[in-house]
This record gives sequence, C-alpha cells and structure tokens, in this order.
Amino acid sequence: MDDRQGELSIGRESDVIVVRQTVRKITKLLGMGLTDTTRVVTAASELARNIFLYAESGVMRWNVIDTPGSQGIELVFIDQGPGIPDIGQAMQEGYTTSKGLGMGLPGSRRLVDEMEIVSAVGKGTTVTIKKWNRRS
Amino acid sequence: MENDNISVIKVRDVLMVTVPPDPDDTAMAFLQEKVLMSMEQFRAKGVVLDISAVETLDSYFARVLSETVQMVILMGGKTVIAGMRPSVAITTTQLGLSIGNAETALNVDRALDMISESLQWR
Repeated sequence: MDDRQGELSIGRESDVIVVRQTVRKITKLLGMGLTDTTRVVTAASELARNIFLYAESGVMRWNVIDTPGSQGIELVFIDQGPGIPDIGQAMQEGYTTSKGLGMGLPGSRRLVDEMEIVSAVGKGTTVTIKKWNRRS
Repeated sequence: MENDNISVIKVRDVLMVTVPPDPDDTAMAFLQEKVLMSMEQFRAKGVVLDISAVETLDSYFARVLSETVQMVILMGGKTVIAGMRPSVAITTTQLGLSIGNAETALNVDRALDMISESLQWR
C-alpha cells in the first residue's frame, strides 16, 4: 500500500478503531502535532461511526495533500446509505436521528480546517475533511 | 481479548479503573458493566476512572463515561474521572462534548483525595 493514499472499508463497529489507527499513522508520517492529530483522529472516528450508524457500510479514502508550502491530510467518507435530507439541520448542535449525541457533524467541522458534505436522499453521502499540518 | 485489558482494583472503598488507550465500543460497554458489578461485589463507595492512557475520546466514549457516572450515582457511589490528556481536553471541548456532571481530577492521586474527603462527611 502506498503511503500517500489508501482506502478502508467500514462495515463494523471495530472498523472505527482501524480508521483511528490509520489516520494516526498518516498524521505521524506528516509530523503533525499531538493536538491536531487528536482533532483529526477524533473527527474521523465520528464520521466513521456515522457511516456505521446510518448507512451500515461505506469506505474511508485517505490522501496526503500538498500545496506549495504546506502538507495535510484529506479524508473522504463515502456511503450509499439513506442520505441526509437536510444538511443544514444535520449540522445543528444536538440534532440526531440515532443513539448519538448529535455532535458528530457540527463537532467534527470544528476540529478540521475544511469540511464538505454532498448527499442525495436514497443514494448516499460523501463527507470530505481536510486538516493542514501547521508545523510545516 | 480487548476486555482483558480492563482492570478494576479495589483500594479501601474505592474502585480504581484503568481505561485502555483505544477501546472499541464493546470494550467500553464491558467496562461499564464491570464497574457496576464491582460496585455491588466489593461494596464500594466510589470509582476513579483513570483515562490518562486514552488518546481519542469521541462522542460514543463520552456518552458511556457520563452514563457510567450516572449509574454509579444511582448505586450510591461517586465517580471521579482522572488524568485527561491536554490534547483530549481540547478536542473534547471543541467537539462539543460534555461528560455530564462528572467530577474530574488532574491525576489518580488527586482523584483519591477528592473521594476520601467527600466520604469523611458521609
């Protein structure tokens, strides 16, 4: 497996652990600081858990991203689940349709530098997050 | 296998519980049950949850922690969550999580002090 990109399937609760370990490994390769590592690992954990809770299965693709002068990590969470009817509502604090706390999406947004959600009802959801390495 | 990592030790009237670094949901559910069973078995008055090894605290984890605190209250006990790492405290707060009305301590030593102080007045 290439060190700069990869894909993991998410289908079981235990895959959330694999997601966390994988993201931690990449941030280590990038030399990301401890707090930013914890932020992005936690966001990944929430988004992987969303897939497991709402869509049952999906994948996480990861890429090391480069711009002149900085490096970062991009994580893309893709599922073919029920989709999000109202993304604005899903981004509200405390809104949940599952057994969660309703903090997953809005909370994760605060932990990363960029977040994009594309969703179609009945087709699925793709959530992309980016975290830049502040040390470089 | 994972569940073997969870140790619950009774020191005087207090249960000392070490939370493993990266527990899955099953391990957290097991931990919760083990704490409550031990409360009954050892007739404990308090619980110290040592989370100093924990590197990632997500919403599920936080929910199990705050539930456990509440359940221990129902059984007549007091819980102190000890040793949260700085990076975890920052992330947990920015994620918007709360651990309910749980009491916290910098480390296990201080947590034990807090519990023994409160027990003296009972």
